[in-house]
Amino acid sequence: MRTFRLKNPVYIKSGFTIVGPKEGDGNFGDCFDIVLHDDLWCEKSYEKCESKLQRDAIAGAIKKAGLERNDIDIMMGGDLLNELSSTSLAARNFPCAFLGLYNACSTFGEAMIVGSMLIDGGFAKNITCSTSSHYSSAERQYRFPLELGNQRQPTAQWTVTGAGCTVLSAEAPLRENSRVYEDDIVSVDEGMQLDEKELEKYKKSIEKQKKVINIDKSNIIEDNFSREYNDYMKPLSHYAVVTGGTIGRVIDLGIDDEANMGSCMAPAAADTILTHLTESGMDPSDYDGIFTGDLGRFGKANLEYLLSREGITLPTYYMDTGASYFTPEQKTFQGGSGAGCVNTVFNSYILKRLQRGELKRILVVPTGALLNKDTPLQKETIPGIAHAFTVESREF
Amino acid sequence: MIERKEYQDYVSQNAPKSPMLRTLVAAFLVGGIICCVGEGIGDIIKLIFKEMSEKDVATWESCVMIFLGSVLTALGLYDKLGHYAGGGSIIPITGFANSVVSPAMEYNREGVFFGICAKMFVIAGPIIVFGVTVSFLIGFISYFVV
Repeated sequence: MRTFRLKNPVYIKSGFTIVGPKEGDGNFGDCFDIVLHDDLWCEKSYEKCESKLQRDAIAGAIKKAGLERNDIDIMMGGDLLNELSSTSLAARNFPCAFLGLYNACSTFGEAMIVGSMLIDGGFAKNITCSTSSHYSSAERQYRFPLELGNQRQPTAQWTVTGAGCTVLSAEAPLRENSRVYEDDIVSVDEGMQLDEKELEKYKKSIEKQKKVINIDKSNIIEDNFSREYNDYMKPLSHYAVVTGGTIGRVIDLGIDDEANMGSCMAPAAADTILTHLTESGMDPSDYDGIFTGDLGRFGKANLEYLLSREGITLPTYYMDTGASYFTPEQKTFQGGSGAGCVNTVFNSYILKRLQRGELKRILVVPTGALLNKDTPLQKETIPGIAHAFTVESREF
Repeated sequence: MIERKEYQDYVSQNAPKSPMLRTLVAAFLVGGIICCVGEGIGDIIKLIFKEMSEKDVATWESCVMIFLGSVLTALGLYDKLGHYAGGGSIIPITGFANSVVSPAMEYNREGVFFGICAKMFVIAGPIIVFGVTVSFLIGFISYFVV
């Protein structure tokens, strides 16, 4: 049995997202808490920037939930870089227990499942689930240098630059999100592990860093509070509760093309969805939102084909967050991917719709392709994995 | 669920493919223009240095093209050209320059020795290895045959 149902309600206290400029121009552009002008954010490398994105996403989510850093019992997170470097470097700023997780792009699903189980079991009260990815650091690790003049394949996806964090809690959330100021995000905090010299440099760059925040698009800016998808300073009508899920297994149908990861992940997604529906006795129509991770446009078609062979038709509102992330004019071919893809969409667009009561019960299926740079060279095929979790929206 | 073979066939049949005609035409045009620019530079060198031998002109011409390729890479323009032209901008010598300069820029952050110097040839390494090996073989054969 891979499907579980939680006995106690595990509340989603808050969700916070930070994304890069290209993501801000995409389809979910008006939902994010912070959109940046520049994907280096005054750091010296893209890896450092990714780590900072994640650190600030966690800090922002804790603040938005109205909690202090010491209230967090366990931090859980992951990213795509070697040895989870950006998550680990982000975690050193917090006085909390830390568990690093890796399931490629489905790490967010893994974090949500493990986190909600820990809370349900009474082992923790507040848990943060965060993931991040960065286009430039992922390109460099998995593919080629940025300036190399090669062509991307039509099945390729675009790694999302962004980080998001969800705070899970055993306590019901407040009706109103606490306000997060620019100064909370770009500031010297007490947990920062920097030598004096670097601290001085950091202090000097704070004004510069603030200028990188896109004030027209970021929801934390006061001028944007009246926008439709802004969840600050207005009472929420509903709250979201994680109710259960299905842990995925690793499925490998022998696809070895690293530029076609949607096809590697689609069988895993199909298997997880099938298992979830069989074991929980649910029907796709019982959900009013089904979201897969980052299959991309072709991967989404593959999933629909695989499920139709089993006699399951996904409803028309089924959405792949990767395929929907960017507009066709942005030329990402198959759409977004990466650990930050499903995370940033969930913590912005999906969570806000749940909190407004527009979605009642949803199934989120983050998917991941399990490879590193060397396995395809060693003629290994690429297995996929997908985890599913269900979230319900309830009235206050 | 589905058989491995059946799924692989399904994917290879249905995967979106590159638009052949557009990419070929773009590669042909851009590659041709780069070569024309190269020839033009050769002609200018010949005009300025009238005594220079044909061989020296060709060497200087390559140097200028490599310089141009490196400058365009450093300015962040060559990858945009590459996205459009594909093989048309990879095959000429400017593409070789791009494949050396782009990793050098990318790994600049890891320091001079283990960053730039060690990683500079991650893309161009095979080209250099094969170039040296083949020229050695041809030299060896021509020594005995000719």
